[in-house]
Amino acid sequence: MAKLLDKQRYKCALGAMQTVQAINRAIPILHSGPGCAQKLSDGIGSSGYFSPNIFPCTSINEKDVVFGGVKKLHSTIENALKVIDADLYVVLTGCIPEIVGDDSGEVVSEFADADKPVIYASTAGFKGNNYKGHEQIIDAIIEQYLKKADNRQKGLVNIWADVPYQDLFWLGNIRELEKLLREIGLTPNTIFGYNRGIENINKIPEAEFNLLVSPWVSVKNMKKMEKKLGIPYLHYPTLPIGAYETSKFLREVGKYAGIEVEKVERVITEHENYYYYLIERYADLFLENRVINKQFSVIADAQYALGITKFLTNDLGLVPAKQFIVDDTPKEYREAITEEFKKLNYGLSADVAFETDSYKIHNEIKAHDYHGYPLILGSYYDKELSEQLQGNYLNISWPVQDKVVLDDFYAGYTGGIRLIEDIYTVAVQRFN
Amino acid sequence: MGEIRQIAIYGKGGIGKSTTTQNLTAGLCEHGKKVMVVGCDPKADSTRLLLGGLAQKTVLDTIREEGEDISLDRIMKEGFGGTRCVESGGPEPGVGCAGRGIITSINMLENLGAYTDDLDYVFYDVLGDVVCGGFAMPIREGKAKEIYIVASGEMMALYAANNISKGIKRYARTGGVRLGGIICNSRNVDRELDLLRAFSKELGTKLLYFVPRDNVVQHAEIHKKTVIEYKPDSNQAQEYRNLAQAVIDNQDFVIPTPMTQERLEEILMEYGMMDLADDYRI
Repeated sequence: MAKLLDKQRYKCALGAMQTVQAINRAIPILHSGPGCAQKLSDGIGSSGYFSPNIFPCTSINEKDVVFGGVKKLHSTIENALKVIDADLYVVLTGCIPEIVGDDSGEVVSEFADADKPVIYASTAGFKGNNYKGHEQIIDAIIEQYLKKADNRQKGLVNIWADVPYQDLFWLGNIRELEKLLREIGLTPNTIFGYNRGIENINKIPEAEFNLLVSPWVSVKNMKKMEKKLGIPYLHYPTLPIGAYETSKFLREVGKYAGIEVEKVERVITEHENYYYYLIERYADLFLENRVINKQFSVIADAQYALGITKFLTNDLGLVPAKQFIVDDTPKEYREAITEEFKKLNYGLSADVAFETDSYKIHNEIKAHDYHGYPLILGSYYDKELSEQLQGNYLNISWPVQDKVVLDDFYAGYTGGIRLIEDIYTVAVQRFN
Repeated sequence: MGEIRQIAIYGKGGIGKSTTTQNLTAGLCEHGKKVMVVGCDPKADSTRLLLGGLAQKTVLDTIREEGEDISLDRIMKEGFGGTRCVESGGPEPGVGCAGRGIITSINMLENLGAYTDDLDYVFYDVLGDVVCGGFAMPIREGKAKEIYIVASGEMMALYAANNISKGIKRYARTGGVRLGGIICNSRNVDRELDLLRAFSKELGTKLLYFVPRDNVVQHAEIHKKTVIEYKPDSNQAQEYRNLAQAVIDNQDFVIPTPMTQERLEEILMEYGMMDLADDYRI
């Protein structure tokens, strides 16, 4: 029987075009039909270096299907190199050329001697969603562009986190992670966002280690870099939000990097003092209000479902109802992620479902007794449900329709405070 | 004037689909029928015998070089007995999608008005096997309502015929396509006639005609002619005329009942083919 997937919360692999757009002065070249390009180009805030709506695309048609689209791809790359001043050209293939069997890699290899690097990523939609597409882009950079470095720079750390633009807070988060690492004496290197770009990509092979802050996205990329570039990696599965997790994060990174404990502890103490000063000042609000109920559900990708569940439980003392991971996490990572949800303070553990069907998620939420107003942190798809249930609702994951985020973030100590502000702003608005 | 009988010929690669189709077409012409042959094979050799050589520019070559704004006479040539000959052609080997090419070609023929009312028959000569949706095009969307499968007493030919029947069965419910029968292009395999009859019966159809093996077919091919044109008085020419008559008279159109691999092998065993494998003679 045909199955209906209701409101899934990701795009196809070609959506990884946004990963390219997040790299300053990098340009995507789409080898796809015009419809794919049009649909993917509506992301808010993805202007990047060039434009969210203007980029080279082969706009393949029936003729290219029958005869193959390689000639058109060749001329599109050739002309892109002529008219667009970029540092990195990334060809992304859609479903049609992959089904027809266009050898895009061969076409791209003809530009090996071009003045600027041209690489390609196989991002056919049928291969998976944009989380996997993101991995494909990083993979293409590693495989086709990066070379093993002769020298390593002591203390240089590449930081990798979740998917730009799919993650609303990607820019602020990665900057905050950089800041934290810098404070404990490391030199962070990231490739996305303002004032980063090809020079940072060039620095990747010189790093002492890779730091991956994500439950599963890019684990494969880390393994590939370890093998090809000889860079070891530290996988920290939880996005640290708030004091408890961030301090734990800093201790673990510090230990891995061989930084003296006192130095790390000094940084932690300073942050925690301020963090708890703020919490104390507003303790009345947290303790006395009867609007934020004890129970909450997060409906988000593995990154936010895990990060926020840990934060709300460990830092705010809320009780997790069922949590929903909507990013179609590959099966091989599910067990480890489920285990993470059991590592909560106060002897708590959270039930977690890997579910992409919003209909089923909503039914489960409706059937659960939250003992008061449910607190729902999800996407815009969950707004209507939250209203029906008179719940408190905060949009923290894609798709986002009721919020503008320029560089706001939830990572780190400050990020935890921002999330508290956002949640309790929703709470106090109930009666004002 | 009745409805055009649109017929697709399928069968294992190299079984003699094109040869059979063109000789059958020549036979139909002698019966006064108006026929169009559409070659659905990137090799574009489905009309060679009717045209006296590969004089034809394929639909896809024409589209590739001249665009889609073309007239019908650029892609359709008249062959033996007034037959209309079209070759779909295909992309260069190794690139593009030949299946989609067949779809594009047939759509173009329709748009250009190739299917005129004076036609009695349209034949689609389709490559090898039903390999993908594109090559199933003639039996989809009601283009060809009648299918004949060319086979011989060799195992792989019957295996392919059984597979093709699965494709026909798939589209029979929606597209109304039916199997008209099996045409045996004999390889002089032992008990071939019995085997083909049993096989056809198992498929729920009949052996429409048994075309014996005769070297005159090869001679005619070397001369780029159908047997009917090359040696009209030969026995083989009469066989093809009889085949044409069998097609004209045929009224048995069925949804095939393809068999499992095990059942197919059982039938082959029953007719001694497996036992005689070492004693194979041509």
